[in-house]
Order: sequence, then structure tokens, then C-alpha cells
Amino acid sequence: MNAIVYILLAAGLVFFGGSTLAAFYWAAKTGQFRNLEDGSKSIFDHDEPVGTATDAFADKTGDRPLRRGAIALNS
Amino acid sequence: MSATPAHPSTTTPEMDKAERALIDESTRIPVLLFFGSAVFWLLVGTLFALLASFKMNAPHFLDQWGWLTFGRVRPAHLNAVAYGWAAPAGIGVALWLMARLCRTPLRHSKLLICAALFWNIGILLGIFGILSGDGRSIEWLEFPNYASLMLFVAFGLIAVWAVIMFRFRQPGHVYVSQWYLLAAFLWFPWLYSTANILLNFEPIQGGAQGAVNWWYGHNALGLWFTPIGLAAAYYFIPKVIGRPIHSYYLSILGFWSLALFYSWNGMHHLIGGPFPAWMVSASVVASVMMFIPVITTAINHHMTVRGNFGALKWSPTLRFTVFGAMCYTLSSVQGSLMAIPSLNKVTHFTHYTVGHAHLGLYAFFTMIMFGSMYYITPRIVGWEWPSARLIRWHFWLVAIGIGVMVVALTIGGILQGIALLDPGITFMATLDYTKPWLLLRSGSGILLTAGHIVFAVSFTLLLLKAGSKRTEPTLFGSDQGRKPESLVP
Repeated sequence: MNAIVYILLAAGLVFFGGSTLAAFYWAAKTGQFRNLEDGSKSIFDHDEPVGTATDAFADKTGDRPLRRGAIALNS
Repeated sequence: MSATPAHPSTTTPEMDKAERALIDESTRIPVLLFFGSAVFWLLVGTLFALLASFKMNAPHFLDQWGWLTFGRVRPAHLNAVAYGWAAPAGIGVALWLMARLCRTPLRHSKLLICAALFWNIGILLGIFGILSGDGRSIEWLEFPNYASLMLFVAFGLIAVWAVIMFRFRQPGHVYVSQWYLLAAFLWFPWLYSTANILLNFEPIQGGAQGAVNWWYGHNALGLWFTPIGLAAAYYFIPKVIGRPIHSYYLSILGFWSLALFYSWNGMHHLIGGPFPAWMVSASVVASVMMFIPVITTAINHHMTVRGNFGALKWSPTLRFTVFGAMCYTLSSVQGSLMAIPSLNKVTHFTHYTVGHAHLGLYAFFTMIMFGSMYYITPRIVGWEWPSARLIRWHFWLVAIGIGVMVVALTIGGILQGIALLDPGITFMATLDYTKPWLLLRSGSGILLTAGHIVFAVSFTLLLLKAGSKRTEPTLFGSDQGRKPESLVP
């Protein structure tokens, strides 16, 4: 096996290992690990807020199905 | 800089709804290309699975043609379902989730269309190569080089796209699903290319090939399929029932501990093999450490659904996804236990391992992909699923099918393992122990095949927009299981 392949593989190892560490550092530095409560709500919006079941689809014409039901929020 | 909320209070429900519709619509062509090809390869892969299973019951069945012998049909099945069905279904789900979570319309769809074309040509060449006797004898990497090159190009294009999407996302929190998706997109092309180079293009020597083979084989499951499956579960379970994940802290812990421990796991396939003891020991320890991400995920999913299990009665997405999430826990706990040498001694080289593989890639991953497709497809096509009855049939056929298969292979595998360890039993006699369980496996295969045909019919009818337009979502039954509105605080 030639040296170029070894160098390529080692470079890949350093790059991908390094990018995982860099991602962890970036996440800590930019506050991704703070306000986790808010983070968990980031998939909801004002149209599909917490407390609304969403197994229904919306389309642009607005004839949204009416069966969005409320669900229990007790813990 | 701290993360800002994803949805600033200045937006209105109408604005949010329009934004979501725009994002969903932008994903239509690439996602449907991946979903469509996934459904096609699912049917092809299932056919190979049935053939391979029947050959276990009747070894001479269709053996007059070289290209239909067990040695070719079995890898054709594995590759058609892993790379033809599971990967494109996962990519389709991941593309849609990335666009939604980045809160930006999908960019550079031509890049993804190109990737889908490369992908399908690669699978076609690969399956053809395996059937014509050109396949490699390396599990999970049986595709000949000309096919794996195509797949690598497709993987590379998708990874580049993912980085671009992430770069242009709306500011705000990076949701846990996005971490899983980015990890999968970046890790897999590296895994795939490294393993292919070391095994097929510039092969390393002797026993080291086994180490690379299982480093790849296990990581394909753990660092590609698992992150995509979990990303979908972490999105759809809270989204469908309208309740944030129980403990977001645990979900983050789960992700980073998966990233830390999973890549060490592969060597537990080589227990008893001619390898340095430290390699195998480190892998066994890492496999047991996998209890951390698995238990955190299990607690989180269970506690999120708790109190809303009634929703499983009406939501197809939730029913498939929760089934898959439960099987993730089962299959991972089973995997960690199988890495313990005293148990591995019995289960290794038996059908037990085949049962475990199906519990992971089918009962966990595939079921979550079905659930995700039930959520995504109507939103991007603008048309509802044609029939709740078809979805119900699909669920019960595949749920019972995979249940029977896993139980049959588990019992058959344990009996086989105990017999293999007994020096008083001849090898031929050990096979007798497996016969009834293999027959049961073929029966479960027929159920799964029927389920896949029902799904393919349902999917095709949706794409064709057959029947009259529904104004309500296709759910199971009526509003049963939903709590009255007054319960919401």
C-alpha cells in the first residue's frame, strides 16, 4: 500500500476527529448547552404550539384539517 | 453569544404556517426521489430476502441458475435493503428534517437530485454485480468497486449539501435531531471511503481486514442508521403529541455519549478471533458503556409519550415511531449483552445474530422510517394518504412479521449455539435444531412482504393523488384517545 493512501487516511482521521471536537467546543461556546428548556421547544412555533397535536398537514391554501386536537400536558 | 429562541415573538401563527409550508414544498422533488427509490428497492430487497429464506428451508430451490444461488441472493438482499431502502429512506427523512430544523427552504436541490441519480445507478450496478458473481466476500461491503464509487460520490454530494444548509440556517438553537443528522452526514462518507480503500482499493493484509470490516459494519449501523433514526424519533414524537421532549439535557447527553462510545463497538464481532486482546476488550467495554446513550434515550422517549399513549390509537406516525423507538432500546440492550464474551460464545455464528440485526435495522430503523414517511409525504405532496385501512394493514403485517421473525431467530439461534458448543453433537445435527425456526422465519417473511406491498400501493396512490381530495388527515379511527381540550392548562 502506498504512502499517499496512508497520509489520506490519517488526514481523514485528524479532520473528522477534529471536527467533532470543534463542534463540541463551538456548541459550548455559543450557548447551545444553556437554556435547554427553551431548546426543547424550538421545534414548535406559534402555529403549532406546545399542547397541539400535529399529525395533520397544512397547505398553502389554508384548508387546514380541523382535527388538531389538544393533548394532555401533565407530567 | 447565546442561542436565541427559534421563533421570535414577532412572528404570527399565519407567518409561521406560511414559512413551514414554503420549507416543506422546497423539499418535494429531492425527498420524493429518495422516498420513491427507497420504496422500489424495498420491494426488490424483500424479494431477495424471501428467496434467501426459502433456500434455508429447501436448499435446492432455484439453484439451477448461478445468479440465484444463496451466496449471491443473500448479499443482494442485504445490500438492496441497507443501501437501497434504508439509506435513501433515511436520507429523504434527513433532508426534510434538515430544512425544517434549519428553518430555511432547501437550497441546491440539483445537488441532491444528482446524488439521488448517482445513488440509484450505484445500487443497480451493485446488485447486478453481486448477482453476476462480481461481489466481494466482505459483509456490508459486497458491492464491487464500480458501484461503491457511485455511492461515495452520492454520499459526498449530500454531505456538502448538509454543510451548506447548516451554514445558511436561521439563527437560533440547534435542536438535538440536527446534531444527529449532521453527525451522520459527516461521519458516514468518511467511514465508507476509509473502509473501501482499506478493503477493496488498496487492501491491507490478513487479519487486519477483519478489524476494518467490523469497524465499518458496526459503525454503518451505529453512526449512520442510528443517528438518523433517533433524529426522526426526537422530532416526530414530541411534534406529533405536541409536547417537548421530557428531558432535553438527557437527549444531549445521549448524543455526545453515542459519539464517544459507538465507534469502538465493532471489535466485539471478533471475540475469540486472532486479534490483540486489548482491541476486543476495549470494544466490549465500549459496548457496555452504550447503556448510557440507550437508557437516556429510552427514558426520554417513554417519559415524553407517557400520559399520551392514547395517541397511538389515532396517529400512524406515532404508532410506527414509538414501536421503532421501543425496539431501539431492545436491540441496543441486546447488542450490549451480546458483546459480553460468555454470552457471545453461545450466540456468535448463529441465527441469533441475524435476529438481532433485524431487530435493529428493521424493528427500530425501518419502522421509524415508515412513521416519518407517513408524516412527511402528505405535507410535501399536498395530498393525504388514500386509506387508513391500508396503513393499519401495513402496521399489523410488518409489526407481527418482524416480531415473529425476531422471536423465531432468537430461539432457533440459542438452540443452535448450545448445540454447536456440545462436542457430542455433529455439525449436521446442529442444523436440525434450527429447521422449524427457519420455517417460521419464512412465514414471517411472507407477512413482511405483504406489508411492504400494501405500503407501496398506498405510497403510489398518494403520489398519483388517487381518489377525491381529503380535507382531513388520514388517522386511525375517530378522535378516540384524544383528551378533551379542557385538560390543557
